[in-house]
This record gives sequence, C-alpha cells and structure tokens, in this order.
Amino acid sequence: MTVLSCPFCGVRELSEFEFHKTLPNAGDDPLSATYFRINRVDDSQEYWQHVRGCRAWLQVRRNPSTGQVLEMILLGTRT
Amino acid sequence: MSLASPHYSAWALLRARLAGSGYWKPLWTGRALKNHYDVVIVGAGGHGLATAYHLARDHGIQRIAVLEKRLVGYGNVGRNTTIVRSNYLLPENHYFYEDALRRWGTLSRDLNYNVMYSPRGVVDLAVSDDEVPALARRGNALRLAGIDAELLDVAALERRYPEIAPRRARRFPLAAALVQARGGTVRHDAVAWGYARAASALGVDIIEDCEVTGVRVQAEVAQGVETNRGYVRAERILFATAGHTGMIGTLLGVPLPIETHLLQAMVSEPIKPFLHTVMVSVFPGHGETYISQSDRGGLVMGGHLDGFPSYTREGTWDRMQDVVEGAVDLFPQLGGVKIVRQWAGTNDMTMDGSPIIDRLRYNNVFLNAGWCYGGFKTIPASGAACATLVATGTAPDLIKGYALSRFASGHLLDEPGRGPFPVRL
Repeated sequence: MTVLSCPFCGVRELSEFEFHKTLPNAGDDPLSATYFRINRVDDSQEYWQHVRGCRAWLQVRRNPSTGQVLEMILLGTRT
Repeated sequence: MSLASPHYSAWALLRARLAGSGYWKPLWTGRALKNHYDVVIVGAGGHGLATAYHLARDHGIQRIAVLEKRLVGYGNVGRNTTIVRSNYLLPENHYFYEDALRRWGTLSRDLNYNVMYSPRGVVDLAVSDDEVPALARRGNALRLAGIDAELLDVAALERRYPEIAPRRARRFPLAAALVQARGGTVRHDAVAWGYARAASALGVDIIEDCEVTGVRVQAEVAQGVETNRGYVRAERILFATAGHTGMIGTLLGVPLPIETHLLQAMVSEPIKPFLHTVMVSVFPGHGETYISQSDRGGLVMGGHLDGFPSYTREGTWDRMQDVVEGAVDLFPQLGGVKIVRQWAGTNDMTMDGSPIIDRLRYNNVFLNAGWCYGGFKTIPASGAACATLVATGTAPDLIKGYALSRFASGHLLDEPGRGPFPVRL
C-alpha cells in the first residue's frame, strides 16, 4: 500500500493521508466506542483524513492482510 | 535434562570433541501431538514459551503443549530490536518491567543457554528543553522505586558516550539524556531457542505447524481447541499470539481493546564498533529513532509504528525514511552506510499502551497480549507471572494492573498519556 485514492484529489501518496481510528465495535455504548475494536484480519473499517491534501475526512474499508483498499469515500456520504 | 539436549558446559564441549559428530542434538524434540493436555498454550513466541517453561518448572504441571502456527520464534520474538530496559513512568509498569530486567541478568544461567544479555545502557535523548522536565520526572519516579536512572546534561553525556559528540551542527541539538545503565540488549532468537530448549527438557510438547482454528465450549467451560491436526482436549488454554490477538477475539466472539499495527526495524551493513549503548531519540513532529550496534557490527534501528492497522508484515517507505533520517541526524558519519535488511512485525496495540494478562471470556481461558511494541523486554517476567495466573487462577500482584477490566473501570495505564489512540504521535 503506497498510494490511496482520495475522492476529490485522485491517487495520492500514502504519506499525504493520516489514519485516525478504526470504527468502534458494534454497539453504541461509550465504553465499546472508546476502547474496543473489531480488529478483523481481512476487513477493517477506518476513519482517515487527507491531512496533507484537501483535508477531507474519509471512510475507508481495507483488507489489513493485503493492504487492498476496498472502498474509500467521503465521511457521511454512504447511502 | 533429557537426551534431546545435553547440559551445556565446558565439560560438554570436551565430551563433544571426544565423541566426534552426533553429540549435539536438536534444541527441542519434535514430539507428537497428544489428544489431552493440562495446559495448551497457543503461540510459541517468547511469552508462550516462557509461560510453558515456568508452568513446568515452578508449578510442576506435567502435560503442557505449545501450539505454533508456523515456527518457533517466527513472530515478534525474532523481529524486535532486542532492547531491554525498565525505565517506565507508571508504578504498575516499572515494577513489572524491573522484575523482567532483573531476570534477564540471570536468564542465561537459569536456562543453561547464552542469551547474550548486554547491559550496555539505554540512553533516552531529549532534543529540546521542553522535553527535559518529562525525562526528569520519569527519572525521579524510577529512583523513588529503587530503579536506576540518571539525568545527564549534554557535557556529561558527551563525556560518557563520546560517539554522540557532534561532528557538525545538528538539526535538533541535544538538551539532556536519561540513562538507564542496566538496560541494554539481549540476543532475541536465543531467547526463543533457550526457552524452547529448557521447556522441552522439562517435558513440554512444542508443536510447530499447528494452527488453532477454534475453541470447543460446553456449559461456559472451554473443553479444548480445534487445530489443523485435529481436536486437542485442554483443561486450561492460554493465548499468547501477540499481533494476531485480534483473531483470537474473533474466534471467541469477544471484542478486545486492541488494534494491530506494524512496527518495522532495519539493520545496516556491518561497520566497526562505534556505538557502545542504545540511543533513543524522539524528534517532535518528525519521528523517532532508536539505534544500537549488534555484535556483528550492524546498526539495528527502529522507530514509530507505521500508522495504520495492518497484518502485512511489510513496512512503509515513509517510516523507514523517518528512522534513517533520525539516525543520520544523531550520527552524521552514518550518512554513507547502507541499510541491508528491513522487516516488520505485527503489534497488538492496546488502547492505553499497556499489556493485558487476564482471563478471557471463560474461566479456564487466559490471554497474554497487548504488548504493543514492548513485549520482548518483559518475556521473563511475563512468563513467570502468567504461569502463576494460569496455574493458580490468581494473578500475582505484579500483573494485577493488567486486567482486562481496567478498560471498564477507567484504571488505564496510559504511559504517554495520549488517550485511546495507539498511533497518535
């Protein structure tokens, strides 16, 4: 994984992006949301930000075993 | 000791010489997997093997198996930068890590295997005045706990470690350093091999190429583990799977406060001895570099995590560049030295940066995990304490703070104080 594709800026270097956190575990209670993670080997849902670019917040689905990006969209735009 | 591995001594060398070939045997024997054990340990890394050794030696448990998906020492015990130290700020941590450091001192004798503990000192450098009070605070906390720590100004630092004296103006001039003289390095592979040999000699079955795929449960009691070699009954199960602890959470259906991140390390071509200690330097806003010189002459380096969850065991180019830039900033004379190898390990990063040694979901299932990037240095203490927990069911005082319940009760052990984000720099 050396590049990521920003929905606004297109394909950019990985170093322009910053990982923020993985999506909290299923369940909305504050404890789970703060500390507990799903942490699957083949599917990770994450928040990233294009900090050294357009600064958009992004919702990313990746396969952490291969680094393959399955989906990268603007946060909050999933229909 | 069994026939598999003779006691190492000067006599053994002599006997081996007289006996000709065939005297030295494999360090641990390839025993067959049985179908029933008192304790099944999943993961033949440092923590799993050390726990097996202490269960057999201190608690007299006879039937122990260590199941390993790949090879003994394939994971983080063979991928770290071999640094041992106990200069942690929080009491729960520094007493535990100090226990480990004391055990490193005698481990070669205990295991009858040379793990090459080299107390060459660990030097934490500050590159701005703002960092000095934090170093002083940590040093004071350590000294109050009876652990050695010494705050040096730049002149004293350069006197003691002439190699750090600047060859040219630094981008980040040094401000001070906190030194732990008893810290240093240990030959990491030897730790895995030494524990495997000693455990095997005490009757522990070490089964490589055996992947655990499930846990069989009846009436809220774990009965045994499913493996690729069939079902194994177990009275108690311990998971010590480091970076793959997330998979254990999935297996047992329990969420864990763990994200899996990569930490990379690299080594340079061998050069003549010039660095006689372990240097650690954090460059605010840039990166971190820790560097030491191996006995073979290679400079072993590492830095921050790569920055996002990954199981790939490849490191990113950017982080490698950070680490090398930091090293060249500290030692400009290294500018022309080549990196010859680079690798990465998967780190089980907890949300407060401290480990978890506790029961997991069932009364007879235990977890030894969450070592973040500091697991190697704790292996002897973790093995002893975790064995006590598994054998007696009660956690010794030393690891009471590492209970999983701390995330619910709020008694977090957040050493850097940065909140539930393993990678926030």
